[in-house]
Amino acid sequence: MPYYDEVELGDEIGPVEKVATDDEVSNFCDVWGTPGPNRFTDAETAAKSGMKGGPIVPGIMTMAMMAQLLTDWGGPGSIKDLDLVFRQPVPHNRALTLAATITDLREEDGESLVECDILMTGTEGERYVGGKAIVTLQSR
Amino acid sequence: MAMELEYDRSLYGIEHKAGPFEISNETIDRANSSTGEAGAAFLSDEGAIAAGYKGRIAPPTLCCILVRQVALPDVKVKFGKTSMHAGQRVEPKAPVYADDQLTASSHLKDVYAKTGRSGTMVFVVWETTFSNQNGEVVAEVQESFARRE
Amino acid sequence: MHSHSVSSDDSRATVEQYVKWIQVLRKRGHTVDGIVLTEHRKFDFDKDYSELASQYNVVVLKGSELDTRYGHFLVYGVTQALTQDIDFGDVRMDSRALMQAARQHDAIALPAHPGRFGIGLTEYVAQGETFDDVSIVERFNGGSRPGENERAAELCDSHSLLGIGGSDAHLTSHIATCMTNFKATIKKESDVVEALLTKEFQPVWLDDTLNGASA
Repeated sequence: MPYYDEVELGDEIGPVEKVATDDEVSNFCDVWGTPGPNRFTDAETAAKSGMKGGPIVPGIMTMAMMAQLLTDWGGPGSIKDLDLVFRQPVPHNRALTLAATITDLREEDGESLVECDILMTGTEGERYVGGKAIVTLQSR
Repeated sequence: MAMELEYDRSLYGIEHKAGPFEISNETIDRANSSTGEAGAAFLSDEGAIAAGYKGRIAPPTLCCILVRQVALPDVKVKFGKTSMHAGQRVEPKAPVYADDQLTASSHLKDVYAKTGRSGTMVFVVWETTFSNQNGEVVAEVQESFARRE
Repeated sequence: MHSHSVSSDDSRATVEQYVKWIQVLRKRGHTVDGIVLTEHRKFDFDKDYSELASQYNVVVLKGSELDTRYGHFLVYGVTQALTQDIDFGDVRMDSRALMQAARQHDAIALPAHPGRFGIGLTEYVAQGETFDDVSIVERFNGGSRPGENERAAELCDSHSLLGIGGSDAHLTSHIATCMTNFKATIKKESDVVEALLTKEFQPVWLDDTLNGASA
């Protein structure tokens, strides 16, 4: 895990590539409390909801994936704020690239805070999910 | 004139309580396995203690998963047929440990209209505060849903 | 010419973060002189960014991005009188009335991201609508999906429209991805209006400005 004084504006976190498979989405929906056919697990239901590309990955699941990018980098309790906009439906079984860019560094109330833009993108220039995160790092 | 939105404005200022939510090892296991979480502090007591915690902790988005289980009242927006999850925010405030009991308190924050690639949309925004059995706030969660024409 | 701060519901960037990020871009060799905040469906009369602008040597101006029944429109030179004539929160206003009211109040309104699927001006032109007062559109938009800027370019070429560039930034690191290179010096909102009316400007991508290439 990096120390606060080791990071600079413009530094990148990631990128990492992930895929949300049909089974993983189905498993997530069970945990989430939305089991059974729905627009996340069933192509027909998805089509009725206007999802032409098949069932989609739940926004909360993409959020969990993006949180992992940050906790893998900054530690398990490092996230202070994760604020995401779900811009486009995220398809199953497709390569998803997760990356963050450090946009602000500041010390506040005794904490060393790193703010970053965080994005989940696709291979064709899709910006599926975007937002902001604030992570706290240790100072030396 | 601006678009006049019809919905239940009496919901403003009312807190909707839910819970308790029992956070068991199994709850954390299932959340981890469904998202591919492999951080040591989320997997075992040993991993969490090595990271400075008193025991195993839940991943930071667990409350976002739980919030779907909070039954919120119908805002009765007279617009659109389908509702999509438009955004989510979580501000973790304190660790959530295995064996914690969480309660939730939600209120309606905002309802507003805008236009986008999908045409006119009406956004409904809810805020939920999760607290543990000691009354300590562990997370603030904000969700927004877009209703489309 | 097109950016959103946390004053807009869907942006996550503060103005201070934008001007700090512009220092990063300048260090990388890009030329970025200023930004125009175009908050959604409103104009922030009460916001004063002059100290930040001075501290970071970045021109920070204010405009608006309004929802209309014919897509989104960027408005520069907003005055109190214009906001009394036009309800900025009306997502179904007629953009023709907006353009005319803007000119009456020495402001200017022009279509944002005209190539945007579902909501861009190209959609309405294809339906047979005509917009005689449109002579400038946002040709480069940093928030566009693949194909959308190409549609905007086709509209410009087929209708002899001039183009500006705007990043449409909602996140800090997206500021200045597209910009507008004016021949005139821009220091205040009325300079933007005047410079647009003189037609001496062109849209540029951030990389076009590397080491002062298009400055």
